[in-house]
Amino acid sequence: MRKILLTSAVFGLACAGFLGYQTVKAQDQELSPEEEIRLVQEFNRMMAEGINPGEIWAEMGKEAFKKYNLDKCDFGLGPGKVEGALAQLPRYFPDAKRVMDLETRIGWCLQQYAGMTPEQVKKFATQCWGKSQCMGEYDAIVMYVSMASNGQKFSVNLNDPQVKRMYEIGKQIYYARIGPWDFNCATCHAGQKEARIRATKLWSADRPGEAGQAVSIFPKYLVRWSQPMTMHYRYAECIRQMRWPTFEPHSDLAVAISAFLYGTANGTEIKVPGIGR
Amino acid sequence: MRKTLFLGLLAIGLVGISTAQQKKQPTKKEARVKPEEVRQVLLSGFEQDPKFLWKIEQDESQRICSQYPSMEAMPPKAVQKVIELENKNIVYPQWGIAWGDWKEGKKLVESARGGRFASYGFSDKFTDKGGNCYACHLIEKGVPGGTMGPSLTAYGKRYGITKENMNTPEGLERLKMVYKIVYNAWHAYPCSSMPRFGYHGALSPEDVMNIATYLLHPESPVNK
Repeated sequence: MRKILLTSAVFGLACAGFLGYQTVKAQDQELSPEEEIRLVQEFNRMMAEGINPGEIWAEMGKEAFKKYNLDKCDFGLGPGKVEGALAQLPRYFPDAKRVMDLETRIGWCLQQYAGMTPEQVKKFATQCWGKSQCMGEYDAIVMYVSMASNGQKFSVNLNDPQVKRMYEIGKQIYYARIGPWDFNCATCHAGQKEARIRATKLWSADRPGEAGQAVSIFPKYLVRWSQPMTMHYRYAECIRQMRWPTFEPHSDLAVAISAFLYGTANGTEIKVPGIGR
Repeated sequence: MRKTLFLGLLAIGLVGISTAQQKKQPTKKEARVKPEEVRQVLLSGFEQDPKFLWKIEQDESQRICSQYPSMEAMPPKAVQKVIELENKNIVYPQWGIAWGDWKEGKKLVESARGGRFASYGFSDKFTDKGGNCYACHLIEKGVPGGTMGPSLTAYGKRYGITKENMNTPEGLERLKMVYKIVYNAWHAYPCSSMPRFGYHGALSPEDVMNIATYLLHPESPVNK
């Protein structure tokens, strides 16, 4: 019953989203102010009804998890153990000799156990980037593994020197002015003063608890694209908006940002998937 | 007996070494990661396609700004240094300070496109440009805008610009001041969140003049 409800919710949203797109050019991802407000109202309505279309990806993810032999993948708690996996990532993995966050680890395990090359992993991970209403297996896997930590609190081990190092690197990049628009993550997501970008409220890493609230709901279902957004896709889009070069998913840059954000989020309860415009 | 002695000495030796290590433990400052490490991680995160690889080298002002989490945290010396550097980085249109075309300025203010390149779906075109000003500012009445920067509603009206006084030296001075801020905000607000549009070439001097005109001109919708 719930599955039917979710499927129809996704279908209904997809239609609404499509109609909305009649007013927006295909390549032009800017929504008019009226469109933005309409979508915000729509998602508030769905939240009030207790419907979160993002959950349908978790079901898909469970199947894809087995299909790609990820039951052999050790996320830090033993092979195939997903309960609590997200809560303790990023962490150092001696077999890969790298600190890895969830998506980087999934990418590595796909190479080890599903026989994918790095290029194939990248293609797999980015299959829904730039699209809307896309039902991707990768997003589904991330959703499935993330949801298995629901109710647990982030507990990234910042006492591990390797993790701490990536945290520090991530923090420096967060606050470093770079590129032809002088932007950094802190331009929008730092400071004590509450601010908006256009009509959207911004969270700040400098105001306690807000970074945690922001990351504890990823992957996040986005009403404007009728699909979930994983953390690495979020990094890619932020980085594109900052006028930085195109982001490489599963890179050390991703891990550094994750170490900083999830490290800052320690203690926050995980509640995946969130929903937003 | 000898084994015990040996083990005992070993234990003492190890304790001795570890306390020595602790004494030599890096201070908070030394424990920070090296700039070279940070740079390596940053570069590893970008596609190496030269078509999309922009200037990732920080200029001196960006390096100074990166040392402080906010403008408020900057010592006066750093503030002075950035102001000094950025005042040298202002270029005026070839015909100098004169009122431009506010209709063109409005288009640039409203456009969010330009410079956002990606190898997946959403890339801008190389010829796109805009300031995306509504991301951070409120400008025309009733149009949703951000609050990261100050409100610019009725900007020209607030500065008392009228048809009668807009071509006096004072009027043109005000135009010049706004031009300078849009061209290179850091000349007056060092390390501001506002991009140095003109300095980086995101907007040409003529573009900047049109935007300044859009904000100040009595006929502009901003001031009606």
